[in-house]
Amino acid sequence: MRLRKKMAKKLSIIFMALWLTGCAPFTENNIIEELTPVTFLSLSKGDEGKIKISTILPSLSKEKKSVITQEVSLIKEVLRSFNLNFYQEMKFGQMRMLIINEDLGRNEGIMSIINVLLTDPDISLRIYLVIVKGNFEEYLENQLDKQENLDYSFYRMLKHYEEKNQGELSVVNLHEFKKLLYTPYSDPFLPVFKIENDAISYEGTALFQNDKLVEIITTYDDRIFQLLHNDHYLAVLPIPELQVVLGHVRSKTKVDINKSLSTMTYTVNIDSRIEEYRGEKQLFDPQDLEDFKKDIQSNLEKQTQELVKKMQELNVDPLQLGIHTLKPFSKPMDEKKWIELYKKMDIKIKYNININPLTDANSKRQNL
Amino acid sequence: MEALQLFNKNETYNGFYAMLMVNRLQMLYFFLIMPRFLIHSYMIWVIIAVGILSQLNILLLSKWFLTRFSSEGYNGFVQLFGKKLVRLLSFIGLFFILLKLFVILLGFSEMVQIFMFPATDSNWLIFFILLSCLYVAWKGVEKTIRFVVISFLCTFWMFLFFAFFFFPPIAQLSDLYPIIPMELSVDSWKGIFLILSSFSGPEFLVFLGPWFKTNNKTFRYLSYGNALTVIEYVFLYMASLFYFGSNYLSKSQFPIVTMARYFQNPVIERIDMVMLSLELFNIVFAVSIFLLLFYGASKIASGKMERPPSRVGFLFSVFIILIGMILVNEWIWKSDEKQVILLNLQILAGSLSYLVVPITMIVVMKIKGFNKHETTKEDG
Repeated sequence: MRLRKKMAKKLSIIFMALWLTGCAPFTENNIIEELTPVTFLSLSKGDEGKIKISTILPSLSKEKKSVITQEVSLIKEVLRSFNLNFYQEMKFGQMRMLIINEDLGRNEGIMSIINVLLTDPDISLRIYLVIVKGNFEEYLENQLDKQENLDYSFYRMLKHYEEKNQGELSVVNLHEFKKLLYTPYSDPFLPVFKIENDAISYEGTALFQNDKLVEIITTYDDRIFQLLHNDHYLAVLPIPELQVVLGHVRSKTKVDINKSLSTMTYTVNIDSRIEEYRGEKQLFDPQDLEDFKKDIQSNLEKQTQELVKKMQELNVDPLQLGIHTLKPFSKPMDEKKWIELYKKMDIKIKYNININPLTDANSKRQNL
Repeated sequence: MEALQLFNKNETYNGFYAMLMVNRLQMLYFFLIMPRFLIHSYMIWVIIAVGILSQLNILLLSKWFLTRFSSEGYNGFVQLFGKKLVRLLSFIGLFFILLKLFVILLGFSEMVQIFMFPATDSNWLIFFILLSCLYVAWKGVEKTIRFVVISFLCTFWMFLFFAFFFFPPIAQLSDLYPIIPMELSVDSWKGIFLILSSFSGPEFLVFLGPWFKTNNKTFRYLSYGNALTVIEYVFLYMASLFYFGSNYLSKSQFPIVTMARYFQNPVIERIDMVMLSLELFNIVFAVSIFLLLFYGASKIASGKMERPPSRVGFLFSVFIILIGMILVNEWIWKSDEKQVILLNLQILAGSLSYLVVPITMIVVMKIKGFNKHETTKEDG
């Protein structure tokens, strides 16, 4: 016992000496009252090659929130500029979203931005990357009075749609983006939101070639993209040309490439049901329904063909078609060779549609 | 002042403890960084092949355990090699232990610094970790061996978490293609050595023979430990291929911890921090064993085997290790170029010791003409 006491004494003397001499090993301030977590950063192009960065502070306490904006040449520089403007210290540990302006993505590429996020162990790999069209700072300033928790509700929306099979919009986090960027035979994509009349709404999907935004696909094209690649599910698919809305559309895709790698057959099997129809056809008649199916089929085939053609012309492959050239027992193709092949490849689109019989319409027919 | 009882033998442990020790000594620092160096998906087969090779070593080890020399400890070695050679060998062994200690502790404290305390000087982390190891080692070999149970319970379940990455949307089966090697590069050879060195560790059990109850079941238990390691390695490697894909994998410095950062939980956000902290139990266990082995070996090397272990001596040896570690940290570990040299050295030394030690023991016994059956201990 005496021995233990002696040991404890010795150790406590060592520790006291260390602390009293100011030789504290832990230097960072982590007192919660002194900190303000940043929930998102919005980046847009500033003057003379600078980047304009904005966020809302304070994000958590009950004080009145305000938008704070700085122009900096390096992203992490913003930490210093923000801290000099606010009485609490900013920390990135709770960052949930990175909102990038369209111009920045189009002109400069976003590799350097995401690299900054990846190297910081405090920043979660699950933060959402979002592209916005329009002035996000202005939107924040206008909207903050009306809707205090605007950043949180935006985050909740993304979180909600991230779950599988929502089939509404593309939600991509930092890791997914980076994996698509680094893996050969694939190009990344991000969701695009548009600011219009003090409202923010989903616009479509931004396609990237390497880290540069090259095209934004919207409405019908975007829905096809969701169906083919992202979620393989759509709650509703309106086809205005045919005056029909398909509901609960679930797709299964199959890709076949011929041996000389010149032709690819992309088959999409769809299970769905008609939710609404305002056209002339008598859908309770099996023959008419069959004709109608063929119409939908050719409409989707045409639209998809155009979308894929556009992707080929832009030389982007968000559908990861190249992956289908990989085989378990053969050497993977060189990435450059695949890009050459992809540009010239003849891609045939084929749809097989299965529509559930219309129960009520059928009963109507029996009454006739 | 009562004497320090570091190397006392009041009780012997059964094969279960040996199994846990084999497994935990194989799951040290290297498994945390290994996927980054393997990259290609066909390395899964190499892990399995090296696992089988390691199994052969385990067979030799268990044969050694069945002899009376193993239970006699130092005297057993003296009978086999002679006093002078034992002194020389333990002197050489000191370097192997030091190298392993340095790589494990420096590597782990670097991770702790990067992911948990970025503003803290890594020397402080080394000091604190070594302090906890000293506490465990101070309790003696018996208690330290017993500590493996805590270390196992704290860390074993972690690899099951990684099953999450086996399921879409991140995973794609094509991430595992091609599953057989189409061309072999120099890196592949390096990979083989890296895996072998990661599997090393059980060879140090040779010196802990007196504390183990050995019987015919020992081989079975040791094999279970080794097989568990193979499963954990393959599982973690496949998970990292699914998560990163081959190309991106080579760019990630600490793949396993980075993957742990992706886990999400509404209550605890930084699961990686919890995992790293628990992993510390495994590191503390291994380092404590190596501290004791280092002190024992230095006693033999300096010819002071007859004297009881002294407080000052043990503290002095740990102090030397601390100073050495801080110097290596400052001069070698912090510069990436030199760090690679140290890592490569450990990869070579680890592979070499794991291959050579069990073979030497068996060969020397054969040369000296000791018949296994004459020397076998009684069961139990």
